[in-house]
Formats: sequence, C-alpha cells, structure tokens
Amino acid sequence: MSSTEERLRALIDANLEIEGRASGQPISLDLSLADAGVSSTDLVAFWQLVCEEFSMDIPAEVFAELATPGDLIAHLDADAG
Amino acid sequence: MNVACPPAVQSGGWWQPFAAFDGVAVLHVDLAPDALNEQRAWAWLDPAERQRADQFRHGGAKRQYVLCRSALRSLLCDALSCRNEQLAFRASKHGKPSAFVGGSKSAFGFNVSHGGRHGLIALAPDGTVGVDVEERSAPRNLDVLVDTVLSPGERAEVMAAAGDEKLRLFLNLWTMKEALSKARGVGMSMDVSGFEIPHGMLRGTRGGVFCFPDVPDLTWALHNVGTDDFAAAVACTTQAVCDAS
Ligand SMILES: CC(C)(COP(=O)(O)OP(=O)(O)OC[C@H]1O[C@@H](n2cnc3c(N)ncnc32)[C@H](O)[C@@H]1OP(=O)(O)O)[C@@H](O)C(=O)NCCC(=O)NCCS
Repeated sequence: MSSTEERLRALIDANLEIEGRASGQPISLDLSLADAGVSSTDLVAFWQLVCEEFSMDIPAEVFAELATPGDLIAHLDADAG
Repeated sequence: MNVACPPAVQSGGWWQPFAAFDGVAVLHVDLAPDALNEQRAWAWLDPAERQRADQFRHGGAKRQYVLCRSALRSLLCDALSCRNEQLAFRASKHGKPSAFVGGSKSAFGFNVSHGGRHGLIALAPDGTVGVDVEERSAPRNLDVLVDTVLSPGERAEVMAAAGDEKLRLFLNLWTMKEALSKARGVGMSMDVSGFEIPHGMLRGTRGGVFCFPDVPDLTWALHNVGTDDFAAAVACTTQAVCDAS
C-alpha cells in the first residue's frame, strides 16, 4: 500500500496548480500552498478530495490551520494511527 | 450601484475607484505584469512585506501581493493621514490583516482580494468589511466545489443551470460566501455550506442583507460587484434588518 506521502503527492499532482512548477517536478513538503500560489477554489476542492481519499472528515477549521503538505501528512498519520 | 467614491479615495498608478455604497469605497487594482509599476510598488513595502513577497516562489502570486499591498498602503496613508513608515499591519489568528499607525491599532476597516489580473480593495472607515474577486474561468474541480461549498438549495439552483450559466452562478455564490467569511475574519476555517446567500441575490439582485445563523445579532450588507471579466462581492457591517431568505 502507498504511504500517506505518496497518496498526497498524487492528489496534489492531479489537482493543484503550483505556479512555475515543471510537470513531474516533486513539490517540497514544507512549501506553504498559499505561498505556492494555489487558488482558494483549488484549496477548497483539495480539502474535499483529501477527505475522500483518506476516508476522513477533516473539519474546515482544522484544514485551514494546516499550511503545508507536510503538516497535512502529519495530521493524516496521527489521525490514522 | 453608485460608482462615485469618497473624495479621499484617489487613483494611483495601478488602482482606481471602482464602486461605492453604504460608506464603503471599493478600488480596482490592475494586476497585469508591468515592470515599472512593480518597481514603484516594491518601494512602498516594509522589510517584513518584502520578505513575505520573496517567499512566493513564482511571479504571479508575488506580483499580486506587491501591487495590492502597496496600493493598500497608499490608500490607508491618505485615509489615516499618516506616513508610510508609520503604517504597519498585523494579522489575526486566521490571517485577516489590521492596520496599526505608530503602534496603535486603527479601527479603519479594509480588506483585499486578488485573482488573476484583478485585485479589489474595500475600505470601510466605520465598519468591518470583506471582499473577494475571482476571474470568470472554470475552476478545475467545479463539481467537487459545488458539493462542498453550497447549501442543498443553492446546489440545486446551480445544477439546474445550463452551460455557462452554471459557472456564472457558482462564481457569484462563491465570491459572496468568501466575502462574508473574510468580513468575519474566519477565512477558510469556516464551512460555508452551512449558510445561504439571500435568495434574491441568487436570482440576480445585486444587494441584500445577511446574518450568519450563529451570530443573528450582527447584520451584513452584501453586494455583488461582479463584471463580465470577474465575479466579485463585498460584505460590510450594517444597521439594516436581515432579509428573510
Ligand atoms: C487567505 C484566505 C482566507 C483567502 O484566500 P484567497 O481567496 O485565495 O485570497 P484572496 O485573494 O481573496 O484574499 C487574500 C487576502 O485576504 C486577506 N486575508 C487573509 N486571511 C484573511 C482572513 N482570515 N479573513 C479576511 N481576510 C484575510 C489578506 O489581506 C490577503 O491578501 P495579502 O496576503 O495580499 O495581504 C484562504 O486562502 C485561507 O484561509 N488560507 C489559509 C488556509 C490554507 O492555506 N490551508 C492549506 C492547507 S494544506
């Protein structure tokens, strides 16, 4: 089974436009998605897609506190574990 | 909509008066690439703002931030009769900035939004305000967004719309909900599917009065200020009575 990081990277690659990133270039996990130029529409859809992928209900106020993919991975792993 | 602005609100190199109502002035900021304007804008920023600008990895988001923040600085210096060096910003828990002059918090309400080539700045000298702008292009996961941010009734209206009307209606609702949550200062931390935009505004009325279900005593005037190029909305505190939706 893929790790949380691999599954999250796949979701990001398919659903978020990171400004200036060449296709196939991996994102850095400590990059704030807001600073990477991700729009709020993409972020909100991404929130929903993460909930579906990991079969978890992440409240909006919790998701809003998670600034980077690294924070999100830590949250998902803590919740699963 | 009344498009006259209070006299204190001046045009600048890359911003100009856009709308005014209920004691709120709204300015449009031109975010098209322009090396000279970007250079002039950079000079207005303080060291912390320059550091933040440099954190944006790539051009578009950095340009939006620099052009909007410098325009905001110029407008607030005029409105608060202060020098640029006296003006600072601090963000609330969820990121909403407030202005400080000489270290004291100002009660002057303002809010900023940027999307693509369009920025909007709303100024509310006596109130609390939120603004949101989105270019009229289709977000990547429109159906996911419709399911996530709209109430069941709003979702039904949007899904019943045909062709381009579906996107137009969705973006109108999205910017109105974002303007309200930004006015409240909660940003993305609020699940906006839990409240409904006044029904008349869903059908095309440009203004309405709104109350959040959990804060019924505080009323907000909501304005759809969108154009053919962008969807946009402004929400500001009002004494008016809440519309029955
Ligand atoms: C900032 C946010 C509220 C709005 O995003 P948006 O619609 O893309 O951005 P807009 O252009 O409309 O507005 C941005 C401006 O709103 C203001 N703002 C920021 N947070 C705000 C808040 N909580 N309330 C009101 N205004 C806010 C700022 O002035 C900002 O502009 P600036 O940084 O240039 O000064 C939203 O992106 C957010 O809450 N992000 C944090 C959560 C997050 O990124 N989670 C990622 C999880 S992996």
